[in-house]
Amino acid sequence: MSLLELRNVSAGYGQVEVLHGVSLTVEPGEVVALLGANGAGKTTTLRTISGTLKLRSGEVWFDGVRIDELSPRQVVCRGLVQVPEARHIFPGLTVRDNLLLGMSNRGRVSRSQAAADVDEQLRLFPVLRDRADALGWALSGGQQQMLAIARGLIAKPRLLLIDEASLGLAPVTVKQVLEIVREIRRRGTTVLLVEQNAAVALSLADRGYVLETGELALEGTAGQLSADVRVSHAYLGGSKA
Amino acid sequence: MTIAAPTTIRPLQRGFRGRRVTGRGALVVLVVVVLLLVTALYPFNDLYTLLLTQAASFAVAALGLVILIGYSGQISLAQAVFFGIGAYALAIGVTTVHLEFWVAAVAGIALAALLGLLLGLVSLKVSGLHYLALVTIGVQTIFELWLLNQVNVTQGPQGIVNIPRAPLPGLSLDGDQAYLVFCLCLLCVLGSLVWWIGRMRIGRAMRAVRENPLAAEVIGIPTYRVKVEAFVLSAVFGAVGGILYTGAYAFISPDDFDLNHSIIFLLLTVLGGSGSVFGVTLGAVLVVFLPEWLEFLQNTYMAVYGLALILLMIAMPTGIWGGLRLIVGHWIKPARPPLPAVPPLTFRAPASKSEVMLAVRSLSMYFGGVKAVDGVDMEVRRGQVHALVGPNGSGKTTLLNVITGIYEPTAGDVLLDDRSITGLRPHVIASRGVSRTFQLIRLLRSESVLENVMVGAQVGRWAEQAHGGLTAQAMAALELVGLSSIAYEDAKNLPYGHQRLVEIARALASMPSLLLLDEPAAGLNDAEKQHLVELIARLRSESLTVVLIEHDMEIVRSVSDAVTVLNFGKAIAEGTCESILRERAVQEAYMGVVDVVA
Amino acid sequence: MSEVGQLLVAGIAIGSVYALVALGFVLIYRATNVVNFAQGDLAMLGAYALLVTLTVFHLPFWLAGLVSLGVMAVVGILFGLGLYYPLRNRGFMPIIVATIGASVLFENGIVAGFGASPHVVTGMFGTGSFHIGSVFVNDQYALLVGILVVVTAFQFWFFEGTLLGKKMQAVSQDKQMALLLGIPVGLMIVITFSYSTALAGLAGVLVSPVLFVSAGLGSGITMNAFAATVIGGFGDVTGAIVGGLVLGLVDTFGGAYISFTYEQGFGMAVVILFLLFRPQGLFGERVAEKA
Repeated sequence: MSLLELRNVSAGYGQVEVLHGVSLTVEPGEVVALLGANGAGKTTTLRTISGTLKLRSGEVWFDGVRIDELSPRQVVCRGLVQVPEARHIFPGLTVRDNLLLGMSNRGRVSRSQAAADVDEQLRLFPVLRDRADALGWALSGGQQQMLAIARGLIAKPRLLLIDEASLGLAPVTVKQVLEIVREIRRRGTTVLLVEQNAAVALSLADRGYVLETGELALEGTAGQLSADVRVSHAYLGGSKA
Repeated sequence: MTIAAPTTIRPLQRGFRGRRVTGRGALVVLVVVVLLLVTALYPFNDLYTLLLTQAASFAVAALGLVILIGYSGQISLAQAVFFGIGAYALAIGVTTVHLEFWVAAVAGIALAALLGLLLGLVSLKVSGLHYLALVTIGVQTIFELWLLNQVNVTQGPQGIVNIPRAPLPGLSLDGDQAYLVFCLCLLCVLGSLVWWIGRMRIGRAMRAVRENPLAAEVIGIPTYRVKVEAFVLSAVFGAVGGILYTGAYAFISPDDFDLNHSIIFLLLTVLGGSGSVFGVTLGAVLVVFLPEWLEFLQNTYMAVYGLALILLMIAMPTGIWGGLRLIVGHWIKPARPPLPAVPPLTFRAPASKSEVMLAVRSLSMYFGGVKAVDGVDMEVRRGQVHALVGPNGSGKTTLLNVITGIYEPTAGDVLLDDRSITGLRPHVIASRGVSRTFQLIRLLRSESVLENVMVGAQVGRWAEQAHGGLTAQAMAALELVGLSSIAYEDAKNLPYGHQRLVEIARALASMPSLLLLDEPAAGLNDAEKQHLVELIARLRSESLTVVLIEHDMEIVRSVSDAVTVLNFGKAIAEGTCESILRERAVQEAYMGVVDVVA
Repeated sequence: MSEVGQLLVAGIAIGSVYALVALGFVLIYRATNVVNFAQGDLAMLGAYALLVTLTVFHLPFWLAGLVSLGVMAVVGILFGLGLYYPLRNRGFMPIIVATIGASVLFENGIVAGFGASPHVVTGMFGTGSFHIGSVFVNDQYALLVGILVVVTAFQFWFFEGTLLGKKMQAVSQDKQMALLLGIPVGLMIVITFSYSTALAGLAGVLVSPVLFVSAGLGSGITMNAFAATVIGGFGDVTGAIVGGLVLGLVDTFGGAYISFTYEQGFGMAVVILFLLFRPQGLFGERVAEKA
């Protein structure tokens, strides 16, 4: 049984329908990439999964339970954790405190357990360890991205949704983020990776889906998609000659 | 794209600009006449006559708030100050300085207008309704203190007595009933004036400012001037109300012009329905009479009013009149004069000017450490469609915002027709012939399509001369985008694609020479996109210069003459669509690349 | 010289009242973006709660104070649920009008219930006082300043040192993200309203032996609390405290040296000057508007 399944999901904002009947699956232990140009509906898809946006039709299933009617709080408490676009680090709180708050979905956590978990994340992200007491706003874009991912990991996710992790980051920082995601994957966390940057995403993923104006245009293994010229059409046009 | 079957459009008739009395208008006039006759002839007891007079004066003062709050969306807790300035100027002028009544009245109005001007200017500098509310409360507080303490001028707490009523030639207003009729007639006249202001350009401009000040400014409305005008008008009406009030009881004292009264004016505006003349009249009657009719309210009426404000906001924000209008609206449809059938808008090719319509030179826009735009050069040739593309966050919208004056650039220059427009305010740039649309549609949702486009039409330089009237100009723009048949539909009821087109029509109605479209295809389906492409092609054929931000490469390919590609705030490629797509840098920008080097 | 000292003491004391109310004000604003025009009247309600517990139930001052705080905490919950919650998505104007309405309701409701004449409340120390040099300090003033210090310390500990406090900070910094993490945002906001109202109530309780307890107490305090946050920097907690103290001094010295009758006006004048020339206050940050 898939860990995450979207069945024929349609959703939108106000008058506009952005997603039209999207179906996809994520199996446990996989890294799946969701690709597409800006405006294709990737972030909207994540919003329907995390419970922030209500569906117009279709269903979202997580671990055998239907979740599209649940509130964001209920969703995240089930282990479906999102690292949102633009990171959303709490600017006035320290790195440690940001991490602490990442555990809010786990119910009561003892002080010692919490401290241990924070330390573990800091070990995994040396960049953060050096700045453990710095305030959020003082971190660079790349450091904030690390912190956002660490905050997602500390929630002990069954499935981690990462939205546009490479956005606005210099290439060298993107490489670091890539390494982190590879490590996450090595440790067995399932990841759904939303990315505008197809090359980055496909270098990490097992499988991928390509969205084009709210519909699923392509799917396949990372290898298949990397070689498929139609992927570039989805971004740069030309498929409807 | 399917558009609804056209409704009857009759040819333009002479006298189109005159108001025709239709069903609803006739009813209104009838009701007003009946009410006037009733109050003139019915033998009220003395107290009720005076209370009605007081209500009338309150209603006149609240007309000022209809303009300030209802039309322009600002707030004031100082209306009693203007009420008081009018009243005290008249009272002091006539009883102490022995001026002629009308001289004192005019002086009071002028004084109030001056203070309104000052308050308006101050309001521009405070950002946010809360601060504005605070400032007006402050002014109110200081005014009250002054009234009480400046005894040599205002007679302090004992007030001023024996204030005469307005001397009319041939008529005596000594009788209370006669004075009431006078006040009511004046209320009718002033109310009609305020209603008329709402329908005219200035009202339309105010509503645009209320709905979205930034969009209004970019469309070309001088938002600062509009806001200050609203304050001045509210002051004038407040003062007139105060002058009427002096004649009611022939006595005034500082108690009549305190913060409670400002709150009462606010309440009756909200109670009636903020944008409505009838509403405030209804509100005024209720607010003045309820403590009379309901004994237990005598001492607690202010508490009840406070509660009323809360409940109104939660349950009935459009006020009583808003509710009534919904009911009435079912039975009597609003007046819809037939619309002129006009040919679609055409743009004249301008006399020979430089080939480069818009030049961006070394433009940089930094927000703190973030370099949103970093040394961009771009030239847009006259009569071409120039696309601006790039991945998310590359700086396209920021560049557009700098061009239209929303931001002042950190460095560099923007030249329109060889004249620098760097650092000019958005509405000035708009007046030079630049129009734009926004990524998020910014229409007046509760107004008709026609009203929305007329906002654009009224800021154009050539609008009326070219086409004979605002409405005709707006219709011509709608005809061009293909929506003239739904001119009377409320904007909020339109499907998304049509709303987009209305925004474009609004931008076109001002007859720009440069049109900036920010992601116009976002959210459109295939048929709508096709229609959009045809529209842009048509505009290009009429020598209109267009700058297009777009993600959909198909559209860019089919309609653009030149393309500039941005990435990380820098221009990384420029040329035709085919040529830039072949460039490696562009492909990498969009598709991403993974460093081969380990 | 001792006159200056005397004014200083009075200014700091009244400034502490403003600071306490301003603190609650700022907390509500940071969590919900609401400017609560009724904040000062909540202080006034606290003073009347004290009056009732003292005169009707004859409790000793310290107990009456605590009970009043409890009452005000409950009032805060009701305020948040009844007024903020229905209007939370509606834009600024409805909330401004509604909180103004609440202010009017509270003030006039109290007049209806208790009459308009001021009441006298005896403080914890009676009319006791002590001296610093030649300056005579009312015991109640000292209590006021002392409590402000305690509250500030408590607040610092609560927000920086406890998980709940950090969650509340998170809510005020990024509500959407807090929601995504599983933090119960609605509950946090209710707690914010409750705590802020209790703060206002505390200010009311402490000030009632010093100024007379009357319905009009509220509006003066609201204006000054608002002014304090403008001076200190809208949205900044330290700024609220500093602003409150500064304003207390401005009002007291202005009233003594320039004009007593216009004492209320000085705060206003200072506020208008700040809004015109330094809208971010002393500590706040200039927020650029993005299109």
